[in-house]
Amino acid sequence: MAALMGAVDAMLKTAVVRVCGRHGIGSGWVTVTVEGEVAAVQAAVQAGRPAAERWGELIVAEVIPRPDAGAMAAMPHRAGLPVSEVGRQALGMLEVQGLAPLIAGADAMVKTAAVTLAGWAFIGGALTHLIVRGDVASVETAVAAGRRAAEGVGEVHATLVIPNPEAGIGPLFPPGISGDVAPAGALGVLETTGYVGVVVGGDAILKAASVEILQLRIGSGGRIAALVRGTLDAVQAAIEAGADAARAAGELNSACVISRPDALVMACFGGDAPEMGAPESVGNAMGLIETRSTVALVKAMDQMLKSAEVAYGGSYKVGYFLTASVIRGDVGAVQAALAVGAAEAEKYGELVATHLIPHPLPDLEARLPHGSFEHNER
Amino acid sequence: MDAAVGMIEVEGVAGIIVGADAACKAADVRLLGWASTGGFTTVFLVGGLSSVDAALRSGEEAAGAVVGHVVAAPLTQPEPACRRYITFSVPEDTPVQPGAVGLIETRGYGVHVLASDRMVKAADVAVRNVLTVHNRVVCTLIQGAVGAVREAVAVGRSLVAEDEHFLCSAVIPQPVPDVLRAFACRAGA
Repeated sequence: MAALMGAVDAMLKTAVVRVCGRHGIGSGWVTVTVEGEVAAVQAAVQAGRPAAERWGELIVAEVIPRPDAGAMAAMPHRAGLPVSEVGRQALGMLEVQGLAPLIAGADAMVKTAAVTLAGWAFIGGALTHLIVRGDVASVETAVAAGRRAAEGVGEVHATLVIPNPEAGIGPLFPPGISGDVAPAGALGVLETTGYVGVVVGGDAILKAASVEILQLRIGSGGRIAALVRGTLDAVQAAIEAGADAARAAGELNSACVISRPDALVMACFGGDAPEMGAPESVGNAMGLIETRSTVALVKAMDQMLKSAEVAYGGSYKVGYFLTASVIRGDVGAVQAALAVGAAEAEKYGELVATHLIPHPLPDLEARLPHGSFEHNER
Repeated sequence: MDAAVGMIEVEGVAGIIVGADAACKAADVRLLGWASTGGFTTVFLVGGLSSVDAALRSGEEAAGAVVGHVVAAPLTQPEPACRRYITFSVPEDTPVQPGAVGLIETRGYGVHVLASDRMVKAADVAVRNVLTVHNRVVCTLIQGAVGAVREAVAVGRSLVAEDEHFLCSAVIPQPVPDVLRAFACRAGA
Protein backbone atom coordinates (compact mmCIF):
# COMPACT_ATOMS: atom_id res chain seq x y z
CA MET A 1 0.00 0.00 0.00
CA ALA A 2 2.91 2.39 0.68
CA ALA A 3 4.15 1.83 -2.87
CA LEU A 4 0.68 2.41 -4.27
CA MET A 5 -0.01 5.50 -2.17
CA GLY A 6 3.35 6.99 -3.17
CA ALA A 7 2.77 6.19 -6.83
CA VAL A 8 -0.75 7.60 -6.90
CA ASP A 9 0.41 10.76 -5.15
CA ALA A 10 3.09 11.14 -7.85
CA MET A 11 0.47 10.53 -10.57
CA LEU A 12 -1.88 13.17 -9.21
CA LYS A 13 0.98 15.66 -8.96
CA THR A 14 2.00 15.02 -12.59
CA ALA A 15 -1.25 15.42 -14.48
CA VAL A 16 -4.92 16.26 -14.11
CA VAL A 17 -6.36 12.81 -13.39
CA ARG A 18 -8.86 11.55 -10.88
CA VAL A 19 -8.84 8.35 -8.84
CA CYS A 20 -11.91 6.42 -10.04
CA GLY A 21 -11.50 3.00 -8.47
CA ARG A 22 -9.59 0.68 -6.17
CA HIS A 23 -9.75 -3.04 -5.68
CA GLY A 24 -7.82 -5.38 -3.40
CA ILE A 25 -7.61 -9.06 -4.35
CA GLY A 26 -5.81 -10.48 -1.34
CA SER A 27 -2.17 -11.07 -0.43
CA GLY A 28 -1.59 -7.32 -0.52
CA TRP A 29 -2.25 -6.85 -4.23
CA VAL A 30 -4.20 -3.65 -4.77
CA THR A 31 -5.15 -1.93 -8.03
CA VAL A 32 -6.01 1.75 -8.40
CA THR A 33 -7.53 3.22 -11.54
CA VAL A 34 -7.39 6.88 -12.56
CA GLU A 35 -9.29 8.63 -15.33
CA GLY A 36 -8.81 11.83 -17.36
CA GLU A 37 -7.72 13.01 -20.80
CA VAL A 38 -5.68 10.39 -22.67
CA ALA A 39 -2.49 12.46 -22.58
CA ALA A 40 -2.95 13.23 -18.89
CA VAL A 41 -3.52 9.58 -18.01
CA GLN A 42 -0.47 8.58 -20.07
CA ALA A 43 1.68 11.15 -18.28
CA ALA A 44 0.32 10.07 -14.90
CA VAL A 45 0.97 6.37 -15.52
CA GLN A 46 4.47 7.22 -16.74
CA ALA A 47 5.08 9.06 -13.47
CA GLY A 48 3.48 6.39 -11.30
CA ARG A 49 5.43 3.51 -12.80
CA PRO A 50 8.91 4.45 -11.44
CA ALA A 51 7.39 5.51 -8.13
CA ALA A 52 5.95 2.00 -7.62
CA GLU A 53 9.07 0.32 -9.02
CA ARG A 54 11.16 2.02 -6.38
CA TRP A 55 9.52 -0.28 -3.85
CA GLY A 56 9.88 -3.22 -6.19
CA GLU A 57 6.13 -3.74 -6.09
CA LEU A 58 4.86 -2.80 -9.53
CA ILE A 59 2.66 -5.51 -11.06
CA VAL A 60 0.84 -3.80 -13.93
CA ALA A 61 0.68 -0.21 -15.21
CA GLU A 62 -1.38 0.23 -18.35
CA VAL A 63 -3.39 2.89 -20.17
CA ILE A 64 -6.75 2.15 -21.80
CA PRO A 65 -7.28 5.11 -24.15
CA ARG A 66 -10.98 4.53 -24.73
CA PRO A 67 -12.43 2.15 -22.15
CA ASP A 68 -15.69 0.39 -22.96
CA ALA A 69 -18.31 1.80 -20.62
CA GLY A 70 -20.26 -1.45 -20.36
CA ALA A 71 -17.22 -3.52 -19.46
CA MET A 72 -16.00 -0.98 -16.93
CA ALA A 73 -19.40 -0.80 -15.25
CA ALA A 74 -19.17 -4.54 -14.58
CA MET A 75 -15.75 -4.30 -12.92
CA PRO A 76 -15.74 -4.28 -9.12
CA HIS A 77 -13.11 -1.57 -8.63
CA ARG A 78 -15.61 1.26 -9.03
CA ALA A 79 -17.96 0.09 -6.29
CA GLY A 80 -17.94 1.78 -2.92
CA LEU A 81 -15.03 4.15 -3.37
CA PRO A 82 -14.52 5.77 0.05
CA VAL A 83 -14.58 9.54 0.36
CA SER A 84 -11.97 10.80 2.80
CA GLU A 85 -10.94 14.34 3.59
CA VAL A 86 -7.23 14.57 2.84
CA GLY A 87 -6.38 17.88 4.52
CA ARG A 88 -3.09 19.71 4.26
CA GLN A 89 -0.95 17.94 6.85
CA ALA A 90 1.93 15.62 6.03
CA LEU A 91 1.13 11.93 5.87
CA GLY A 92 3.07 9.03 7.32
CA MET A 93 2.38 5.38 6.72
CA LEU A 94 3.56 2.24 8.47
CA GLU A 95 2.90 -1.06 6.69
CA VAL A 96 3.60 -4.32 8.52
CA GLN A 97 2.80 -8.04 8.58
CA GLY A 98 0.03 -8.63 11.09
CA LEU A 99 -1.69 -6.67 13.80
CA ALA A 100 0.65 -6.91 16.81
CA PRO A 101 3.54 -4.98 15.17
CA LEU A 102 1.05 -2.42 13.89
CA ILE A 103 -0.30 -1.72 17.36
CA ALA A 104 3.20 -1.55 18.86
CA GLY A 105 4.24 0.81 16.05
CA ALA A 106 1.15 2.99 16.45
CA ASP A 107 1.76 3.40 20.16
CA ALA A 108 5.39 4.40 19.58
CA MET A 109 4.38 6.84 16.84
CA VAL A 110 1.85 8.84 18.82
CA LYS A 111 4.12 8.88 21.87
CA THR A 112 7.21 10.03 19.96
CA ALA A 113 5.91 13.04 18.05
CA ALA A 114 2.87 15.27 17.72
CA VAL A 115 0.97 13.16 15.20
CA THR A 116 -2.57 11.84 15.14
CA LEU A 117 -3.66 8.39 14.08
CA ALA A 118 -5.92 8.81 11.08
CA GLY A 119 -6.93 5.18 10.58
CA TRP A 120 -5.77 1.66 9.87
CA ALA A 121 -6.84 -1.26 7.71
CA PHE A 122 -5.99 -4.68 6.39
CA ILE A 123 -4.61 -4.58 2.87
CA GLY A 124 -4.98 -8.24 2.03
CA GLY A 125 -3.02 -11.24 3.13
CA ALA A 126 -1.77 -10.47 6.60
CA LEU A 127 -0.58 -6.99 5.62
CA THR A 128 -1.85 -4.08 7.67
CA HIS A 129 -1.17 -0.38 7.47
CA LEU A 130 -1.88 2.77 9.41
CA ILE A 131 -1.72 6.46 8.64
CA VAL A 132 -0.56 9.30 10.88
CA ARG A 133 -0.88 13.00 10.16
CA GLY A 134 1.03 16.02 11.47
CA ASP A 135 3.74 18.45 10.39
CA VAL A 136 6.50 17.03 8.21
CA ALA A 137 9.16 16.76 10.89
CA SER A 138 6.81 15.15 13.40
CA VAL A 139 5.56 12.64 10.85
CA GLU A 140 9.12 11.72 9.83
CA THR A 141 10.14 11.26 13.46
CA ALA A 142 7.02 9.25 14.25
CA VAL A 143 7.42 6.95 11.24
CA ALA A 144 11.05 6.23 12.17
CA ALA A 145 10.02 5.44 15.75
CA GLY A 146 7.08 3.35 14.58
CA ARG A 147 9.33 1.30 12.32
CA ARG A 148 11.74 0.55 15.16
CA ALA A 149 8.96 -0.44 17.55
CA ALA A 150 7.21 -2.62 14.97
CA GLU A 151 10.46 -4.35 14.04
CA GLY A 152 10.81 -5.40 17.65
CA VAL A 153 7.50 -7.30 17.44
CA GLY A 154 7.24 -8.48 13.84
CA GLU A 155 8.06 -7.74 10.24
CA VAL A 156 7.87 -4.25 8.73
CA HIS A 157 6.89 -4.23 5.06
CA ALA A 158 7.32 -0.54 4.19
CA THR A 159 7.11 3.00 5.49
CA LEU A 160 6.19 6.14 3.60
CA VAL A 161 6.16 9.88 4.27
CA ILE A 162 4.34 12.25 1.90
CA PRO A 163 5.15 15.81 3.01
CA ASN A 164 2.35 17.40 0.99
CA PRO A 165 -0.26 14.80 -0.04
CA GLU A 166 -2.51 15.49 -2.99
CA ALA A 167 -6.19 16.08 -2.21
CA GLY A 168 -7.17 13.34 -4.66
CA ILE A 169 -5.61 10.43 -2.77
CA GLY A 170 -8.53 10.31 -0.32
CA PRO A 171 -10.01 7.13 -1.87
CA LEU A 172 -6.85 5.26 -0.86
CA PHE A 173 -7.20 6.10 2.82
CA PRO A 174 -8.20 3.50 5.38
CA PRO A 175 -11.45 4.15 7.26
CA GLY A 176 -11.14 6.70 10.06
CA ILE A 177 -11.25 5.89 13.73
CA SER A 178 -14.52 5.55 15.50
CA GLY A 179 -15.04 4.61 19.09
CA ASP A 180 -13.64 6.20 22.18
CA VAL A 181 -11.93 4.05 24.77
CA ALA A 182 -10.43 5.48 27.93
CA PRO A 183 -6.91 4.16 28.42
CA ALA A 184 -6.89 1.80 31.36
CA GLY A 185 -4.00 -0.40 32.33
CA ALA A 186 -1.97 -2.36 29.84
CA LEU A 187 -2.86 -3.79 26.45
CA GLY A 188 -1.81 -7.26 25.34
CA VAL A 189 -1.91 -8.64 21.81
CA LEU A 190 -1.67 -12.29 20.87
CA GLU A 191 -1.67 -13.13 17.17
CA THR A 192 -1.78 -16.57 15.57
CA THR A 193 -2.18 -18.12 12.15
CA GLY A 194 -5.41 -20.06 12.31
CA TYR A 195 -8.44 -19.92 14.56
CA VAL A 196 -7.52 -22.83 16.85
CA GLY A 197 -4.38 -21.13 18.14
CA VAL A 198 -6.10 -17.90 19.11
CA VAL A 199 -9.01 -19.64 20.86
CA VAL A 200 -6.70 -21.89 22.84
CA GLY A 201 -4.50 -18.86 23.60
CA GLY A 202 -7.55 -16.87 24.68
CA ASP A 203 -8.61 -19.67 27.00
CA ALA A 204 -5.15 -19.74 28.60
CA ILE A 205 -5.12 -15.94 28.88
CA LEU A 206 -8.35 -15.81 30.86
CA LYS A 207 -7.28 -18.67 33.10
CA ALA A 208 -3.81 -17.22 33.82
CA ALA A 209 -4.74 -13.79 35.15
CA SER A 210 -7.55 -11.37 35.75
CA VAL A 211 -7.76 -9.68 32.36
CA GLU A 212 -10.53 -8.76 29.97
CA ILE A 213 -10.60 -9.87 26.33
CA LEU A 214 -11.50 -6.82 24.25
CA GLN A 215 -11.42 -8.33 20.79
CA LEU A 216 -11.02 -11.79 19.39
CA ARG A 217 -12.03 -11.45 15.82
CA ILE A 218 -9.70 -9.07 14.01
CA GLY A 219 -7.96 -11.07 11.35
CA SER A 220 -7.06 -11.38 7.71
CA GLY A 221 -4.90 -13.52 5.49
CA GLY A 222 -4.92 -16.46 7.86
CA ARG A 223 -4.05 -14.49 10.97
CA ILE A 224 -6.28 -13.52 13.85
CA ALA A 225 -5.53 -11.56 17.01
CA ALA A 226 -6.79 -11.44 20.58
CA LEU A 227 -6.58 -8.09 22.38
CA VAL A 228 -6.66 -8.11 26.17
CA ARG A 229 -6.70 -5.38 28.79
CA GLY A 230 -5.84 -5.37 32.49
CA THR A 231 -3.19 -4.30 34.95
CA LEU A 232 0.34 -4.59 33.62
CA ASP A 233 1.19 -7.57 35.85
CA ALA A 234 -1.94 -9.41 34.83
CA VAL A 235 -1.52 -8.70 31.11
CA GLN A 236 2.11 -9.80 31.18
CA ALA A 237 1.24 -13.08 32.89
CA ALA A 238 -1.78 -13.62 30.64
CA ILE A 239 0.05 -13.00 27.37
CA GLU A 240 2.92 -15.24 28.45
CA ALA A 241 0.51 -18.08 29.22
CA GLY A 242 -1.50 -17.39 26.07
CA ALA A 243 1.60 -17.42 23.89
CA ASP A 244 2.73 -20.76 25.31
CA ALA A 245 -0.70 -22.30 24.79
CA ALA A 246 -1.09 -20.88 21.29
CA ARG A 247 2.37 -22.10 20.29
CA ALA A 248 1.54 -25.59 21.49
CA ALA A 249 -1.88 -25.74 19.81
CA GLY A 250 -1.28 -23.85 16.60
CA GLU A 251 1.05 -21.32 15.03
CA LEU A 252 1.96 -18.26 17.10
CA ASN A 253 2.87 -15.20 15.01
CA SER A 254 3.57 -12.61 17.65
CA ALA A 255 2.68 -11.49 21.14
CA CYS A 256 3.31 -8.13 22.69
CA VAL A 257 2.42 -6.15 25.78
CA ILE A 258 2.01 -2.40 25.60
CA SER A 259 2.54 -1.28 29.17
CA ARG A 260 0.71 2.03 28.96
CA PRO A 261 -1.19 2.35 25.69
CA ASP A 262 -1.94 5.81 24.38
CA ALA A 263 -5.60 6.84 24.35
CA LEU A 264 -5.49 7.17 20.55
CA VAL A 265 -4.18 3.63 20.21
CA MET A 266 -6.95 2.29 22.44
CA ALA A 267 -9.56 4.19 20.42
CA CYS A 268 -8.04 2.81 17.22
CA PHE A 269 -7.68 -0.85 18.16
CA GLY A 270 -9.20 -1.49 21.57
CA GLY A 271 -12.89 -0.79 21.02
CA ASP A 272 -15.19 -3.29 22.68
CA ALA A 273 -16.19 -6.09 20.39
CA PRO A 274 -19.90 -6.78 20.25
CA GLU A 275 -21.01 -9.61 22.51
CA MET A 276 -21.56 -12.69 20.40
CA GLY A 277 -24.69 -13.63 22.32
CA ALA A 278 -24.98 -16.25 25.00
CA PRO A 279 -23.91 -19.59 23.56
CA GLU A 280 -26.32 -22.45 24.11
CA SER A 281 -23.79 -24.95 25.31
CA VAL A 282 -22.03 -23.12 28.14
CA GLY A 283 -20.33 -25.57 30.46
CA ASN A 284 -19.79 -28.16 27.76
CA ALA A 285 -16.39 -29.03 26.47
CA MET A 286 -15.34 -27.40 23.21
CA GLY A 287 -13.63 -29.19 20.36
CA LEU A 288 -11.86 -27.30 17.59
CA ILE A 289 -10.74 -28.63 14.23
CA GLU A 290 -9.05 -26.60 11.50
CA THR A 291 -8.12 -27.59 7.95
CA ARG A 292 -7.03 -26.05 4.68
CA SER A 293 -9.92 -27.60 2.75
CA THR A 294 -13.69 -27.26 2.94
CA VAL A 295 -14.16 -30.82 1.71
CA ALA A 296 -11.89 -32.17 4.46
CA LEU A 297 -13.64 -30.09 7.12
CA VAL A 298 -17.18 -31.01 6.04
CA LYS A 299 -16.28 -34.71 5.80
CA ALA A 300 -14.73 -34.47 9.27
CA MET A 301 -17.81 -32.71 10.72
CA ASP A 302 -20.12 -35.28 9.15
CA GLN A 303 -18.17 -38.11 10.77
CA MET A 304 -17.74 -36.36 14.12
CA LEU A 305 -21.46 -35.69 14.51
CA LYS A 306 -22.18 -39.34 13.70
CA SER A 307 -19.47 -40.85 15.90
CA ALA A 308 -20.29 -39.30 19.28
CA GLU A 309 -22.86 -37.31 21.21
CA VAL A 310 -21.61 -33.89 20.09
CA ALA A 311 -23.34 -30.83 18.62
CA TYR A 312 -22.20 -28.46 15.90
CA GLY A 313 -21.06 -25.19 17.50
CA GLY A 314 -20.18 -23.05 14.50
CA SER A 315 -17.39 -22.25 12.08
CA TYR A 316 -14.89 -19.56 11.34
CA LYS A 317 -12.61 -18.73 8.43
CA VAL A 318 -9.54 -16.61 8.97
CA GLY A 319 -8.72 -16.57 5.25
CA TYR A 320 -5.79 -17.88 3.28
CA PHE A 321 -7.23 -21.41 2.85
CA LEU A 322 -7.90 -21.89 6.58
CA THR A 323 -11.31 -22.97 7.80
CA ALA A 324 -12.23 -24.12 11.32
CA SER A 325 -15.20 -25.71 13.06
CA VAL A 326 -16.34 -26.10 16.63
CA ILE A 327 -18.17 -28.98 18.28
CA ARG A 328 -19.63 -29.11 21.79
CA GLY A 329 -20.41 -31.91 24.19
CA ASP A 330 -19.06 -33.88 27.15
CA VAL A 331 -15.28 -34.08 27.41
CA GLY A 332 -15.17 -37.74 26.46
CA ALA A 333 -17.52 -37.34 23.51
CA VAL A 334 -15.65 -34.33 22.14
CA GLN A 335 -12.34 -36.12 22.53
CA ALA A 336 -13.60 -39.19 20.68
CA ALA A 337 -15.18 -37.09 17.94
CA LEU A 338 -12.01 -35.05 17.39
CA ALA A 339 -9.97 -38.22 16.90
CA VAL A 340 -12.46 -39.42 14.29
CA GLY A 341 -12.60 -36.01 12.63
CA ALA A 342 -8.82 -35.68 12.43
CA ALA A 343 -8.47 -39.08 10.76
CA GLU A 344 -11.24 -38.28 8.28
CA ALA A 345 -9.94 -34.79 7.40
CA GLU A 346 -6.47 -36.12 6.63
CA LYS A 347 -7.92 -38.30 3.88
CA TYR A 348 -9.15 -35.29 1.90
CA GLY A 349 -6.89 -32.34 2.65
CA GLU A 350 -4.48 -30.73 5.03
CA LEU A 351 -5.38 -31.02 8.69
CA VAL A 352 -3.98 -27.98 10.51
CA ALA A 353 -4.96 -28.56 14.13
CA THR A 354 -7.42 -30.13 16.52
CA HIS A 355 -7.82 -29.13 20.13
CA LEU A 356 -10.00 -29.91 23.12
CA ILE A 357 -10.88 -27.25 25.69
CA PRO A 358 -12.51 -29.23 28.50
CA HIS A 359 -13.92 -26.21 30.30
CA PRO A 360 -14.07 -22.94 28.35
CA LEU A 361 -14.93 -19.89 30.44
CA PRO A 362 -18.10 -17.89 29.66
CA ASP A 363 -15.96 -14.74 29.20
CA LEU A 364 -14.17 -16.46 26.34
CA GLU A 365 -17.34 -17.82 24.78
CA ALA A 366 -18.90 -14.37 24.76
CA ARG A 367 -16.09 -13.08 22.53
CA LEU A 368 -15.77 -15.98 20.08
CA PRO A 369 -17.15 -15.22 16.62
CA HIS A 370 -17.72 -18.76 15.31
CA GLY A 371 -21.36 -18.92 16.43
CA SER A 372 -22.36 -16.23 13.95
CA PHE A 373 -20.71 -17.98 11.02
CA GLU A 374 -23.08 -16.56 8.43
CA HIS A 375 -21.73 -13.10 9.14
CA ASN A 376 -18.03 -13.71 8.98
CA GLU A 377 -17.73 -14.56 5.31
CA ARG A 378 -15.15 -12.21 3.84
CA MET B 1 -34.64 -39.76 -2.30
CA ASP B 2 -32.54 -36.61 -2.40
CA ALA B 3 -30.19 -37.77 0.29
CA ALA B 4 -26.57 -37.48 -0.74
CA VAL B 5 -24.43 -34.37 -1.02
CA GLY B 6 -21.33 -34.14 -3.20
CA MET B 7 -18.46 -31.69 -2.88
CA ILE B 8 -15.82 -30.68 -5.42
CA GLU B 9 -12.95 -28.40 -4.44
CA VAL B 10 -10.22 -26.66 -6.46
CA GLU B 11 -7.92 -23.70 -6.10
CA GLY B 12 -9.32 -20.57 -7.73
CA VAL B 13 -12.77 -20.39 -9.26
CA ALA B 14 -12.64 -21.04 -13.06
CA GLY B 15 -11.99 -24.75 -12.53
CA ILE B 16 -14.90 -25.11 -10.17
CA ILE B 17 -17.32 -23.39 -12.58
CA VAL B 18 -16.32 -25.85 -15.31
CA GLY B 19 -16.50 -28.74 -12.84
CA ALA B 20 -19.91 -27.75 -11.49
CA ASP B 21 -21.31 -27.47 -15.01
CA ALA B 22 -20.01 -30.91 -15.99
CA ALA B 23 -21.30 -32.43 -12.76
CA CYS B 24 -24.81 -31.00 -13.21
CA LYS B 25 -24.92 -32.33 -16.78
CA ALA B 26 -23.66 -35.82 -15.90
CA ALA B 27 -26.48 -36.86 -13.59
CA ASP B 28 -29.69 -35.78 -11.93
CA VAL B 29 -28.19 -33.48 -9.30
CA ARG B 30 -28.86 -29.90 -8.26
CA LEU B 31 -26.24 -27.28 -7.40
CA LEU B 32 -26.81 -26.19 -3.79
CA GLY B 33 -24.16 -23.50 -3.62
CA TRP B 34 -20.53 -22.83 -3.01
CA ALA B 35 -18.04 -21.70 -0.38
CA SER B 36 -14.56 -20.26 -0.43
CA THR B 37 -11.78 -20.53 2.14
CA GLY B 38 -9.86 -17.60 0.70
CA GLY B 39 -7.99 -19.85 -1.70
CA PHE B 40 -9.94 -23.01 -2.40
CA THR B 41 -13.47 -22.89 -3.79
CA THR B 42 -15.92 -25.72 -3.10
CA VAL B 43 -19.26 -26.48 -4.77
CA PHE B 44 -21.99 -28.54 -3.12
CA LEU B 45 -24.33 -30.78 -5.14
CA VAL B 46 -27.37 -32.69 -3.96
CA GLY B 47 -29.12 -35.72 -5.40
CA GLY B 48 -29.49 -39.47 -5.10
CA LEU B 49 -26.32 -41.28 -4.06
CA SER B 50 -25.63 -42.89 -7.43
CA SER B 51 -26.35 -39.62 -9.23
CA VAL B 52 -24.00 -37.72 -6.91
CA ASP B 53 -21.29 -40.31 -7.49
CA ALA B 54 -21.61 -40.02 -11.26
CA ALA B 55 -21.74 -36.21 -11.08
CA LEU B 56 -18.63 -36.07 -8.91
CA ARG B 57 -16.68 -38.25 -11.34
CA SER B 58 -17.55 -36.02 -14.30
CA GLY B 59 -17.04 -32.83 -12.34
CA GLU B 60 -13.67 -33.96 -11.05
CA GLU B 61 -12.51 -34.89 -14.54
CA ALA B 62 -13.70 -31.63 -16.13
CA ALA B 63 -12.26 -29.45 -13.38
CA GLY B 64 -9.00 -31.39 -13.51
CA ALA B 65 -8.63 -30.56 -17.19
CA VAL B 66 -8.67 -26.84 -16.30
CA VAL B 67 -6.70 -26.77 -13.05
CA GLY B 68 -4.28 -29.27 -11.58
CA HIS B 69 -5.50 -30.52 -8.25
CA VAL B 70 -9.12 -31.45 -7.54
CA VAL B 71 -10.66 -32.97 -4.42
CA ALA B 72 -14.11 -34.55 -4.63
CA ALA B 73 -16.06 -36.43 -1.99
CA PRO B 74 -19.65 -37.48 -1.32
CA LEU B 75 -21.57 -37.31 1.95
CA THR B 76 -23.75 -40.40 1.70
CA GLN B 77 -26.02 -39.44 4.58
CA PRO B 78 -25.14 -35.83 5.33
CA GLU B 79 -25.64 -34.39 8.80
CA PRO B 80 -27.88 -31.27 8.51
CA ALA B 81 -25.09 -29.10 9.97
CA CYS B 82 -22.95 -29.80 6.90
CA ARG B 83 -25.15 -27.52 4.81
CA ARG B 84 -24.18 -24.59 7.02
CA TYR B 85 -20.81 -24.52 5.24
CA ILE B 86 -22.45 -23.29 2.05
CA THR B 87 -21.89 -19.55 2.11
CA PHE B 88 -23.40 -18.74 -1.26
CA SER B 89 -26.65 -20.62 -1.87
CA VAL B 90 -27.94 -20.87 -5.40
CA PRO B 91 -31.32 -19.15 -5.57
CA GLU B 92 -33.96 -21.50 -6.94
CA ASP B 93 -35.73 -20.68 -10.19
CA THR B 94 -34.50 -17.12 -10.65
CA PRO B 95 -34.47 -16.32 -14.37
CA VAL B 96 -31.06 -16.42 -16.03
CA GLN B 97 -29.74 -15.00 -19.24
CA PRO B 98 -28.91 -17.89 -21.57
CA GLY B 99 -25.66 -17.91 -23.51
CA ALA B 100 -22.20 -19.40 -23.54
CA VAL B 101 -19.78 -18.56 -20.74
CA GLY B 102 -16.13 -17.60 -21.13
CA LEU B 103 -13.67 -17.57 -18.25
CA ILE B 104 -10.23 -16.05 -17.85
CA GLU B 105 -8.34 -16.54 -14.60
CA THR B 106 -5.08 -14.94 -13.50
CA ARG B 107 -3.35 -13.71 -10.41
CA GLY B 108 -3.73 -9.94 -10.41
CA TYR B 109 -6.58 -7.57 -11.20
CA GLY B 110 -5.07 -5.03 -13.59
CA VAL B 111 -4.92 -7.42 -16.53
CA HIS B 112 -8.63 -8.18 -16.08
CA VAL B 113 -9.56 -4.53 -16.57
CA LEU B 114 -7.47 -4.56 -19.73
CA ALA B 115 -8.71 -7.95 -20.94
CA SER B 116 -12.37 -7.10 -20.26
CA ASP B 117 -12.05 -3.96 -22.35
CA ARG B 118 -10.47 -5.89 -25.24
CA MET B 119 -12.94 -8.78 -25.04
CA VAL B 120 -16.11 -6.68 -25.23
CA LYS B 121 -14.60 -4.76 -28.14
CA ALA B 122 -13.57 -7.92 -29.97
CA ALA B 123 -16.98 -9.60 -29.99
CA ASP B 124 -20.55 -9.17 -28.85
CA VAL B 125 -20.08 -10.34 -25.27
CA ALA B 126 -20.82 -8.83 -21.87
CA VAL B 127 -18.80 -8.99 -18.66
CA ARG B 128 -21.15 -10.65 -16.17
CA ASN B 129 -18.96 -11.03 -13.12
CA VAL B 130 -15.43 -10.55 -11.86
CA LEU B 131 -14.87 -13.06 -9.08
CA THR B 132 -12.17 -12.50 -6.50
CA VAL B 133 -11.61 -15.49 -4.25
CA HIS B 134 -8.67 -13.89 -2.47
CA ASN B 135 -5.12 -15.10 -2.53
CA ARG B 136 -4.82 -12.82 -5.59
CA VAL B 137 -6.84 -15.09 -7.90
CA VAL B 138 -9.30 -13.19 -10.09
CA CYS B 139 -11.66 -14.71 -12.66
CA THR B 140 -13.57 -12.72 -15.28
CA LEU B 141 -16.80 -14.30 -16.53
CA ILE B 142 -18.20 -13.16 -19.87
CA GLN B 143 -21.35 -14.26 -21.68
CA GLY B 144 -22.64 -14.19 -25.24
CA ALA B 145 -23.22 -16.42 -28.24
CA VAL B 146 -20.81 -19.37 -28.46
CA GLY B 147 -18.79 -18.03 -31.39
CA ALA B 148 -18.52 -14.57 -29.85
CA VAL B 149 -17.42 -15.99 -26.51
CA ARG B 150 -14.80 -18.21 -28.17
CA GLU B 151 -13.45 -15.24 -30.11
CA ALA B 152 -13.44 -12.96 -27.04
CA VAL B 153 -11.70 -15.52 -24.85
CA ALA B 154 -9.09 -16.05 -27.56
CA VAL B 155 -8.45 -12.30 -27.65
CA GLY B 156 -8.36 -12.03 -23.87
CA ARG B 157 -6.13 -15.06 -23.61
CA SER B 158 -3.67 -13.71 -26.17
CA LEU B 159 -3.40 -10.61 -24.02
CA VAL B 160 -2.80 -12.36 -20.70
CA ALA B 161 -1.24 -15.70 -21.70
CA GLU B 162 2.23 -14.13 -21.80
CA ASP B 163 1.68 -12.80 -18.30
CA GLU B 164 3.56 -14.79 -15.69
CA HIS B 165 0.43 -14.68 -13.56
CA PHE B 166 -1.91 -16.29 -16.11
CA LEU B 167 -3.69 -19.35 -14.71
CA CYS B 168 -6.30 -20.66 -17.13
CA SER B 169 -9.14 -19.92 -19.53
CA ALA B 170 -12.22 -21.91 -20.52
CA VAL B 171 -15.40 -21.75 -22.61
CA ILE B 172 -18.65 -23.44 -21.58
CA PRO B 173 -20.83 -23.46 -24.73
CA GLN B 174 -24.09 -24.18 -22.94
CA PRO B 175 -23.90 -23.77 -19.17
CA VAL B 176 -26.65 -25.19 -16.95
CA PRO B 177 -28.88 -22.49 -15.38
CA ASP B 178 -27.76 -23.34 -11.81
CA VAL B 179 -24.15 -22.55 -12.71
CA LEU B 180 -25.21 -19.18 -14.09
CA ARG B 181 -27.29 -18.51 -10.96
CA ALA B 182 -24.30 -19.36 -8.80
CA PHE B 183 -21.51 -17.55 -10.61
CA ALA B 184 -22.78 -15.22 -13.34
CA CYS B 185 -24.51 -12.64 -11.15
CA ARG B 186 -22.69 -9.87 -9.34
CA ALA B 187 -22.96 -11.27 -5.84
CA GLY B 188 -21.00 -13.40 -3.46
CA ALA B 189 -17.18 -13.53 -3.33
